[in-house]
Amino acid sequence: MKFSPATFVVFLTGFFLMCGPARAHHGNSAYDEAHWITISGTVTEFVWSNPHCQIFVDVKDDKGKVVNWAIESQSPGIMRRNSWSRTSLQPGDQITVTLAPAKNGAPVGFSGNADGKVVFSDGRILKMNNR
Amino acid sequence: MRSRLRTWIVSSLVALFAVLATPPCPSAQSQSSQAASKSSAASAPAPKRDLTGVWQLQGGGGGAQPIAEDEDIPPMTPRAKVKFDAQKPGYGSRGAAGGNDPILQCDPIGFPRIMLMPTPNELLQVPGRTIQFWEREHEWRTIWTDGRPLPTDPDPAWYGYSIGHWESDDTFVVESMGFNDKTWLGPTGYPHSEDMRVIERYRRMDQDTIGYDMTITDPKAYTKPIVTPHRIMKLKPNEEISEQPCVWSQENEFAQRIRNPATPQPAK
Repeated sequence: MKFSPATFVVFLTGFFLMCGPARAHHGNSAYDEAHWITISGTVTEFVWSNPHCQIFVDVKDDKGKVVNWAIESQSPGIMRRNSWSRTSLQPGDQITVTLAPAKNGAPVGFSGNADGKVVFSDGRILKMNNR
Repeated sequence: MRSRLRTWIVSSLVALFAVLATPPCPSAQSQSSQAASKSSAASAPAPKRDLTGVWQLQGGGGGAQPIAEDEDIPPMTPRAKVKFDAQKPGYGSRGAAGGNDPILQCDPIGFPRIMLMPTPNELLQVPGRTIQFWEREHEWRTIWTDGRPLPTDPDPAWYGYSIGHWESDDTFVVESMGFNDKTWLGPTGYPHSEDMRVIERYRRMDQDTIGYDMTITDPKAYTKPIVTPHRIMKLKPNEEISEQPCVWSQENEFAQRIRNPATPQPAK
C-alpha cells in the first residue's frame, strides 16, 4: 500500500494526540517541553549539587554573540545512576545539549528527562532519565 | 478519483490503527508496565515476607509523579477547595513557572508525596519494625510491626506515624496517620487535612518487583478516598541510597541561577 503525505499527517497527529497529555502532566511548567532544541558550545561550569546539577555553556548565537546558557539536569544521585560523575564535564569541553528551553525566552533549559541528552565531542552520549 | 479517495481513507485508517496499537511515548506512563512485564518473565520468585532492599519507583517519565491524575481525584470539600486554589504548583494542568510549592523553601516534602519522587527508597526489616529510608531529603520512618495499634492522639508530623503487618506472604500493608496539614499530596498541589489516613500495600510480585498501591482517606478534604494508580517499584541490588538533603543555601543558588531566570517576572 502506498502511504500518501496525508496519511503521514494522520499518523503524526495521532501520535502527538496520544503523547501530549502524558507529557503535559509531568513537565515542569517553566519549560517548553513541546519544543526541544539542541545547542552546542563550550562548558564554562558544571555544578554537581542538589537539588539539581547545573551545566553552564557558552553558545554563539546567529550574530556571533556569546550567550551563557544555564541547564538544569537532575540530582547527583540520579546523575550517578545515569553514568555521570562530578568530573564528567570540565570547563572548556565542547558539548551539544538537547533541552527544553524556558518559556520566557531566557537562555535556560531543562535536559533531565527522556528527551534530554548531552553529546560529548568524542560522540559519547549521556542522558539523565534512567531510573 | 473515488478509488484514490478510498485508498486514502483506508490507508489513513490503517495508520491511525497502527498508532492506537502502539504504546504511546515509551518515556511516560507506559514505562512502568513495560518494565513490569519484561522482568516478570525473567525474575526469580518472590521471597516470603521480605521487602529488604533498595527500591526504585518506575514510570512518570523520570520525574516526580502526581498522586493521581486530576480526573481520578474525588470532589473536594469546600475547605479543601479553598486550600487547593491557593496552592500554586509548578507541575500538572494548573502548573505555572514560579508558584508556592512548599518544597521550594525546603519544607519537608512529607508523606505520601515522598513516595512519588524519582529517587529510590530502602526497606530494612528488623524485629518489631520495618525501616524505610528515602534518598530524597535523606529521610526515614519507622513502620512498627510489633503489633501496637495506631496512637489515639499523635502530634501532627511531616511523616506521620505508621504501623504495618503482613496480610499474606507477599503483601505488606502499612497504615499511617498523625500528619500535619502543611504538605502537598504531590507536585500538582492537592491538599490534605490533619485527619488524613493512608493505607499502602506493598506486594512483592517477584524477586525484582513490588506492586505499590495507596488509598488516602481524608473526609475533611475529599468526599471519597483517593485511590492512587497502581505503581511498580524495581529492586536495585547494586544501588546505594545517597544523600539528597534540601539545603537552603544550595536551593537558593539553584533558584538564582536556574529557577528565577526561567520564571516570567510579574508585570510591574
